[in-house]
Amino acid sequence: MPFCPGCSYQMVIEGIAGSLQDMGINPLDVILVSDIGCCGLIDPLLSCHTIHGLHGRVTALAMGVAIGLNNPHKKVIAIQGDGGVTIGLQHLMEAARLNVNLSLIVQNNMVYGMTGGQISGLSACEFKAEKMPEEKNIPPYDICELAHKAGASYSSRVVAQGDLNQKMAEVFGTKGFSLLEIWGLCPSYSYKKIKDINKLPCNERTLENPNDPYYLHIKNSSSLFDELSQIENRFESTLKERLQVIIAGSAGGGVQLAADILAFAGIASGLNTKKKGEYPVTVGTGFSVAEIIFSRNEIYYTRIDTPDVAIIVTQDGLDKIKNRIGKDTLLVINDGLDIPGMSESSLKADFRKISGKKGAALSAIALWLQQNELFPVEALKFAAKTKRSADTLIEAIENIN
Amino acid sequence: MVLIDGSRVIIESLVKTGAEVFIGYPITPANLLYAYGRQRFPMFIPASDEITALQMAAGFAASGKLPVTATSFPGLALMLESINMAYMMEMPMVIILVQRMGPSTGSATTGAQGDLLLLRGVISGGNPIPVLCPSNLEDCWDLASKSLHIAVELRTPVVLLTSKEMIMTNMSFNLAEFAPVKPVEKKYFQSDTTYKPYSADENMAPPFLPLGHDTHQVRINSSTHDPEGFIKKNTPDALANTTRLKDKIEKRIAEYSEFQLDKQENSDTIVVSYGISALAAYEAVKTMRSDGRSISNLTLKTLLPVPPEILKILNQFDHIIFVEENASGLLREIIYGQFRNENIRGVYKIGDMITPQEIINEVFLCQQV
Repeated sequence: MPFCPGCSYQMVIEGIAGSLQDMGINPLDVILVSDIGCCGLIDPLLSCHTIHGLHGRVTALAMGVAIGLNNPHKKVIAIQGDGGVTIGLQHLMEAARLNVNLSLIVQNNMVYGMTGGQISGLSACEFKAEKMPEEKNIPPYDICELAHKAGASYSSRVVAQGDLNQKMAEVFGTKGFSLLEIWGLCPSYSYKKIKDINKLPCNERTLENPNDPYYLHIKNSSSLFDELSQIENRFESTLKERLQVIIAGSAGGGVQLAADILAFAGIASGLNTKKKGEYPVTVGTGFSVAEIIFSRNEIYYTRIDTPDVAIIVTQDGLDKIKNRIGKDTLLVINDGLDIPGMSESSLKADFRKISGKKGAALSAIALWLQQNELFPVEALKFAAKTKRSADTLIEAIENIN
Repeated sequence: MVLIDGSRVIIESLVKTGAEVFIGYPITPANLLYAYGRQRFPMFIPASDEITALQMAAGFAASGKLPVTATSFPGLALMLESINMAYMMEMPMVIILVQRMGPSTGSATTGAQGDLLLLRGVISGGNPIPVLCPSNLEDCWDLASKSLHIAVELRTPVVLLTSKEMIMTNMSFNLAEFAPVKPVEKKYFQSDTTYKPYSADENMAPPFLPLGHDTHQVRINSSTHDPEGFIKKNTPDALANTTRLKDKIEKRIAEYSEFQLDKQENSDTIVVSYGISALAAYEAVKTMRSDGRSISNLTLKTLLPVPPEILKILNQFDHIIFVEENASGLLREIIYGQFRNENIRGVYKIGDMITPQEIINEVFLCQQV
């Protein structure tokens, strides 16, 4: 074996191979997933399938293999050291929480063996007292306890002595996530004799949960295109050039929905249309801005620098877009919002009073369409009918008549 | 006509092509891909972080399922070591990278094109990884499918590079314009002889078998390994195996070399762009031509490795103008290196989309040189 003389990995390998043999499991029904470190030397020693990954990530990789295979006749066994557990503890916790059908063997020899014997998050205080005394009062992770609390079917800790076959068989026979932590020797950098390990407070024990193993849901779904409304060209538009519209209001105020309806109406009027939204990452707070471009030609560039029309229904919206308003921008604006030098031709009404907070943007759009005749207000109503709460939306449009 | 966004198109195309599992960790502005992935993929796994996502993707791929994930720079940064692992293991997968403005967390809802140079160096050792980049809805459909085909054919992770603007903007579109996608065909090793997982023929991509196969032992390895999958240091066959990883991607580029050249005779100037910047470039070129100016336009869709034809095309022009939404011209740097040349110029910008007028201004300036 490729290990330093006296290394407990030899016993661990013999335990894995011996127990699988005892259980009568065909090697080709076993997938060994190995971490970086001394445990990574194991692959060539076994005649099962092997996959050798990165340092600390073995449990995440093994989860992918186990869930991907989704086959109760295939046994996925991951192996790593205490260093690997320390760097990838999150993955261990996740496998335990999901209770994925796999076994994780951890050989805890208290040190990172391949890099010269540094302490790990699993090193016992007594070991650290000798190796790095300033850390001696910091407790190690109790991964059995952590895995158990997270939901693992089985977690157990033993010292690497005697025959491990029976213990391993118990681990491999578990449905769901099973963890076996083995306190062992690293004669090069840690303990050389089992009697020294036995002096440590190993607290050998087995913890079990009655949880069901992870179940992979596989579904049939229909095309994402099926739920899209097919928009027929049934209205006429007077548009000649590209027209750029910005709708600005407050988050939660129906701005994006109103913009969707306007875009839909534009397409129903035979126009190429692009629509995008901008809002803070929070929901229901701050501004909400939508940009819509209509054109007879294909629209490539989707940025509106200066809008042809700015529909503004709240102060949040005004604050967000006021610097983009040009001298030729037609304003459709809620009463009470003040823009210095606002043109006489601006369309003003108290949309928020007329149609409430959520209907204001749609009412403002309706007033603009009524005056401007880009396409009929009927197109807007037609679009609103395709949405949930169509009645309320149509009411917001009709409030303008 | 429908009103549709690029995310929906990409996810639908991937599933139609044969992608089986979406493994996601949510991040703005890739969230729509996560949502559509949840809705559409046969299998969906919400990963606990991006390292887990990529590790699980590799595990799924090793078990014979085709995985997809989507992220943005902060997530990509976490995935980096695991992408190297998947690359070394030769695990097919598609990573959709939705660019946002950096550095660091930057601005989650501001688009950008800032990650190309990172992708050029993402694999340690100078190895290339295929990167495709859509600049319109047809590309979203075609290149998403293509990326899965390449991933399987070349046995490699493939990056579909996009940006907030392409992913989240809704557009009017006629779905009949999408050609049917070709479903991917999983080709497994079929022989009674001993299976050597990393032994490849002149195709350079070894035949695949999943872990857990009933009759052949499968060994998959992320460390330097020989054709049988055993860890080796720098033995000739192990080094040859690592070299093959580079060769298969570079030498088979003809299978996935995609670009669009709109060349105007007698033009001495060409605009070069990709992704969202291509939109401003189209608009600028259209305007300049309608003003009677002669100008050519090149849109790259395969960004990495840069298709060999690209340099041949660019060499035909006196003035080359790159249009990129980043600080210094990353594609330009990949093609021409760090040193500036007055004939090779660019419009570079962060925080907002480049306008067609900015491109027109740059063309005007360069033609005065």
